[in-house]
Amino acid sequence: MNVESITADHVLDTQGLSCPMPMLKTKKNIKTISSGEILEVIGSDPGSKNDIPDFCKKAGHELVGETEENGVFHFFIKKA
Amino acid sequence: METSFWGSLKEDINEGYNKLFGQNWPEWVAGVFLAILALMIFLWQSPWGIAGGYRNWGDWMYFWMGVTETRPDIPWMNTMSVTNFGLFFGSFVAALMSRQFKVRGTSALEYTKGLAGGVLMGTGAAFAGGCNVGGFYSAIGVFSMGGYAMMVGLGAGAYLGLRYLLWEMDAFPSKPYTAPAESSKKSLDWSKVQPWFGGLFLIAAIGGALIYDSMDNTQIGILLLFGLLAGVIMQRSRFCFVRAFRDPFMTGEAIMVKVVALSLMIYGFGSAVIKWNYLQPDTMGVHHPFWIGSLLGGLIFGFGMLLSGGCASSTLWRIGEGHTKLVVTLIGFSLTNAMVLPIMKSHSIIERLGSGTYLPKVVSWYLTMPVFAFILLAWVIVMAWNEKSEKFVAF
Repeated sequence: MNVESITADHVLDTQGLSCPMPMLKTKKNIKTISSGEILEVIGSDPGSKNDIPDFCKKAGHELVGETEENGVFHFFIKKA
Repeated sequence: METSFWGSLKEDINEGYNKLFGQNWPEWVAGVFLAILALMIFLWQSPWGIAGGYRNWGDWMYFWMGVTETRPDIPWMNTMSVTNFGLFFGSFVAALMSRQFKVRGTSALEYTKGLAGGVLMGTGAAFAGGCNVGGFYSAIGVFSMGGYAMMVGLGAGAYLGLRYLLWEMDAFPSKPYTAPAESSKKSLDWSKVQPWFGGLFLIAAIGGALIYDSMDNTQIGILLLFGLLAGVIMQRSRFCFVRAFRDPFMTGEAIMVKVVALSLMIYGFGSAVIKWNYLQPDTMGVHHPFWIGSLLGGLIFGFGMLLSGGCASSTLWRIGEGHTKLVVTLIGFSLTNAMVLPIMKSHSIIERLGSGTYLPKVVSWYLTMPVFAFILLAWVIVMAWNEKSEKFVAF
């Protein structure tokens, strides 16, 4: 999916934080949003590259898009 | 014909390079490799550890500050310090070759946590007679029962650390940290030259090992290479012991539990062969204060590793990737460990916390391997059940 066309309902900026904080914040944040809404997680820890997709798979959320530029990741997670 | 041969060779090299440095290696591959490396280090010298090297660096910091007067071992002649150098260097090389090296700053709160985590881990490692590698991984691998006590402590410490982080997120909602903007006018394209620097450093490290060899210090030179390999493996697979203890409480995931258990299974069976045949003295490496020291040490260490976000090994490889928070952790770890251990020794505290207990002496060799395998399998089964049921997940 083209990420340009995704509009996030909520944004979580975890830049500068390293493992496990981005994952913890993502899990905590996603609990507060409604099903079907999209959370954009921004991060700079290379660990997130695996952690966040793995978490989505396990928790059943849909990873609708991801981008990476200059070491900054954007993940778009649609809550199940 | 010639052009097509070179063309296809170049294609093959590119493909191989991308497999090795373009994507992360599966964790289980790293688990197998690390067990083999740990066995080779055991056969070559003595069981693998990391905290001892940190302590050597801490001793030097005190010496430079004028706190102590005795000159510590030279870092490049201290075996654990040399494997640590290798591990750092290996990760640095791997990060460069996979274009992931970047100096990464963070907020004041995170630096403080990095320092506190290092101080706690330095203390915990002094109690347990080793860190997550020497006190847990190698301890279990060479049948020192302190390893199991530390394992329980690490789990409990990780749980408490996670509870703390959850509390902290509510109590101090941190503002997003934005890295200082990089100047757009760069004289060279960093992402293109990174792998070349990586290659140069790799050659330098191998050259370093050869220099040791030429100076009749082959044993230390090879340890540098073992450390280098461990660093490459750990960075490429993002091998994190912390995850084996934290994830069951955080996301429920048990992948690292399975990987560490598999790795230990190989380590243990290999070391049984070594010990049974007296290739190395059979109680070598069995010194961990079982059980109070190891348990308490694990608890303190486990809490600390959640604060810093890296244990003794992942602190090193993450520094190799450019995380400045973990540089602070390393300094805290080294200074504390170098201070706490001598205090504990001079007041004979360690003796009161337990003594090195050898599993085959307790349950006999007949039962050692079944008991050893059973504990690891039980750990995997319970955590795999938790992965589905999420019974232990803290939030």
